[in-house]
Amino acid sequence: MTPARRGLTALLALLLAWVVAYPLLIVALESVRGQHGEWTLAYFQRFLAEPREWRALWASLWTSVASVGLAAVLGVPLAFLFERYEFPGRRLIGALVALPAVLPPLVGVIAFLFLYGETGFIARLVQAVLRLEEPPWRLEGAWAILLVHAYSMYVYFYLFTRAGLAQLDHAALEAAQSLGADRWRTLRRVTLPLLAPSLKGAALLTFMTALASFSAPYIFGGGFRVMTTQIVFTRLNGEYGMAMVQTVVLSLLGLAGLWLAGGGATVARAGGKGVAPRPQPIASPALRLLATIGGWTLGVFLLLPHATLVLLSFVPVGTWTVETFPPAYTVANYVQLLTEPTRLRPLGNSLWMATLATVVAMAVAVAVGLLATRKRAPLAGLVERLIAVPWLVPGTVFAVALASAFSVHAPWVARIILVGTVWILPLAYVIRNLPLAGRAVLAGFRALDPSVEEAAHSLGAGRWRTLRRVTLPLLRPALAAGATLAFVTALGDFVVSIILYTYDTRPLSLEILSSLRQGDVGVAAAYGVLLMLLSALVFALGSEREVVAR
Amino acid sequence: MSEGLAGPRRPWRPGPESVAPPRHPAGRLLRRGAWAAVLLLAACGDGRVPLTMYSPHGRDHLTLLEREYERLHPEIDVRWLDLGSQEVLDRLRLERVNPQADLWFGGPTTLFQRGIQDSLLAPYRPSWAGRVDPSGVGPDDLYYPVYRTPTIIAYNRDAVPDSLAPRDWDDVLTPRWHDKVLIRDPVASGTMRAIWGLILQRSLRSTGDTAAGMAWLRKLDGQTRTYALSPALLDAKLARQEGLVTLWDLPDILIAQSKGMPFGYTFPTSGTAVIDDAIALVRNARHPAEAKAFIEWVGGTEAQLLAAEKVFRLPARHDLPEARVPAWVRTVEREMVVEPMDWALLAERGATWMGYWDQHVRGTGR
Repeated sequence: MTPARRGLTALLALLLAWVVAYPLLIVALESVRGQHGEWTLAYFQRFLAEPREWRALWASLWTSVASVGLAAVLGVPLAFLFERYEFPGRRLIGALVALPAVLPPLVGVIAFLFLYGETGFIARLVQAVLRLEEPPWRLEGAWAILLVHAYSMYVYFYLFTRAGLAQLDHAALEAAQSLGADRWRTLRRVTLPLLAPSLKGAALLTFMTALASFSAPYIFGGGFRVMTTQIVFTRLNGEYGMAMVQTVVLSLLGLAGLWLAGGGATVARAGGKGVAPRPQPIASPALRLLATIGGWTLGVFLLLPHATLVLLSFVPVGTWTVETFPPAYTVANYVQLLTEPTRLRPLGNSLWMATLATVVAMAVAVAVGLLATRKRAPLAGLVERLIAVPWLVPGTVFAVALASAFSVHAPWVARIILVGTVWILPLAYVIRNLPLAGRAVLAGFRALDPSVEEAAHSLGAGRWRTLRRVTLPLLRPALAAGATLAFVTALGDFVVSIILYTYDTRPLSLEILSSLRQGDVGVAAAYGVLLMLLSALVFALGSEREVVAR
Repeated sequence: MSEGLAGPRRPWRPGPESVAPPRHPAGRLLRRGAWAAVLLLAACGDGRVPLTMYSPHGRDHLTLLEREYERLHPEIDVRWLDLGSQEVLDRLRLERVNPQADLWFGGPTTLFQRGIQDSLLAPYRPSWAGRVDPSGVGPDDLYYPVYRTPTIIAYNRDAVPDSLAPRDWDDVLTPRWHDKVLIRDPVASGTMRAIWGLILQRSLRSTGDTAAGMAWLRKLDGQTRTYALSPALLDAKLARQEGLVTLWDLPDILIAQSKGMPFGYTFPTSGTAVIDDAIALVRNARHPAEAKAFIEWVGGTEAQLLAAEKVFRLPARHDLPEARVPAWVRTVEREMVVEPMDWALLAERGATWMGYWDQHVRGTGR
């Protein structure tokens, strides 16, 4: 390792520590400061003595673990089905399956409510069919949270597993089979170990997302409290010290998860010299029919919230109340959106910020990937963990940490004023994107056989040439998965934006909120549809790899 | 009052470094670069003076005032961020070294009090200062009331005939409304905090203790079908008849009505809390002169009448020409029974009360 490269690693570590860890450190210090700046453990003592807090902590833990389980059970088999088997409509539904990731914030929740809520479409249908007096269920409590989590988070498992499968070497599977292993044995002893980095990445991401999930427990939790909602209520009531303690405890829980997952870093490497197996046509007609029907049913089920949103965008204000279907339709919502020039500016804002954030986050992720898996730089482990940190804390808390760290001018303690400038929001997007980009890229690197790069070297290719002509093309599925998720997340972000946006960086999600505040659900839904179409477009572009990489 | 989905955040605490003015040359260069980029991006090289306000008043209201004010003052570019009322306070706290807003427009005066505690406001005495209720005026001219927001009982007209609607707070506790009451989550809402304050203040006045008030709120909890986490959800749930009755504020219900929502309302006969909705100049604002001119205008006769007519805001001014005041304002003034509120007590004890309610009353009424 050359001194220059060592310096580069150190610089990267320092920069990441500054924007990722430092603001959180400032928050952590707040939890042991009293109202007049004195050091105190009083808030911690109060936290430990309160059974309610322990219950919320336990609720956070078990719902997150259950979310990982549910998301895996849904996502992994689906990924196998769509990556391995050919059946009518595979390509189309395969793309649709990623759609829960593009359900826009806030108004997506409203769509869920109109669909599965106690007066929602499905509930009314069931009520009418069974002739019930009361709605058959209430969308409230732990099961409602898990439903929303499973729906929105299996996408991580699905995308990561597909990316992993696409990188898998056909030869390894054939070798196993020719050595006499049956299907199950091959799956258990070859495929799954080779997929381990992808699965672990997805599990970690799901766990962190569920742990930090705010809108689902906030809207659907009812009396069921988890740590994130607990924090918000404590803070709303002005008990900032206590809220800081809750934040720190939640972050510690996430940290424990991260360390557990990061522990076993020695995983099998794919002998990635060959190509991934092509999807096979299903031989038995009955099975093919089953897969087709199952696939399409699933596609429709997954699309229902989006369809509800589209429907809502055509409903005039205040008309769809007790009817099963909307009684009237209008395009006024779209007209309003397209004719007022100020209403379209947030679209441009969101686009440039999400693009910038994705490019920067991917560049950092690739740099970290190279350092961590190829160069074995001494600080690489630290850097790798640093980029996962932003998922440890709820978005709101992270935004507040960022805002407070960069709201004072004190360069001697590395604090400058960024609050109120156009740069703080793109910076926040970059940081929030790092775990997504990092996990995808790192999993890709880990599943890649270094001997391919070594071969390129020995054939005389320089470092850049190897990266450009060998490593990056091989990583393309992982890069596409990471970049797609990062871009879509930034495009639809709400929790971070609401704290850090300025007049000049007002994003789409705030425009949605602005309409919802006034009860203009239709206009909000129209924006949501716009956001959804954009995200779907990005997903479509991202999955073009299927054509390119093969 | 309109509020966001996200709540207030940790307080900004002044450190010793915070008072140092930005003087680092590199930092200044960077900031200038940033500003140049901002100007470029916004393409606002039209030479108008930007006047920025943080406000919970909502898009319709703010757009209305923006257009009218820019028509009268072509040299001004009115810019607003529509935030939740707690978010305004949090933003001003975070930006206090580098204020981005010139005006804090809207929110209950209890919140402006907290702004004063954090030294976020600057004094200004408008010419109409003597013609509003002194109870809503801040100490040392730090804020002035612009509108009044009465709390009310609202119901779904399609399901509840006007004659059967609850007339007073206690009516909401009758068996008829069991499991039919929707409540906007009170911890997150200034309007609901005012109603909770009214109940507890009554309990204090009649028994010297808050226990009776908490018992009342526990009964209300028993009637409550669900706590809505945002005004948008409250509207949707009331319109879709998940519940039939709610406690809320007048302007929001009137606006929803005007958009075709099937909502009706009654003024509680025993008295209701009327929240003073204020405006204030931000300390160290970039454009104080323009901000003062706006305060002068927004409390003036024309702007008061405009807001009353178009966006259902009850004027704070009590000297508006009778003939020009919209009919709904006259009706409201006639029907509304105002309960004297001890806002200082609410500002002081509110957090403790809400904390107790959240931990020991919520979810225990059934």
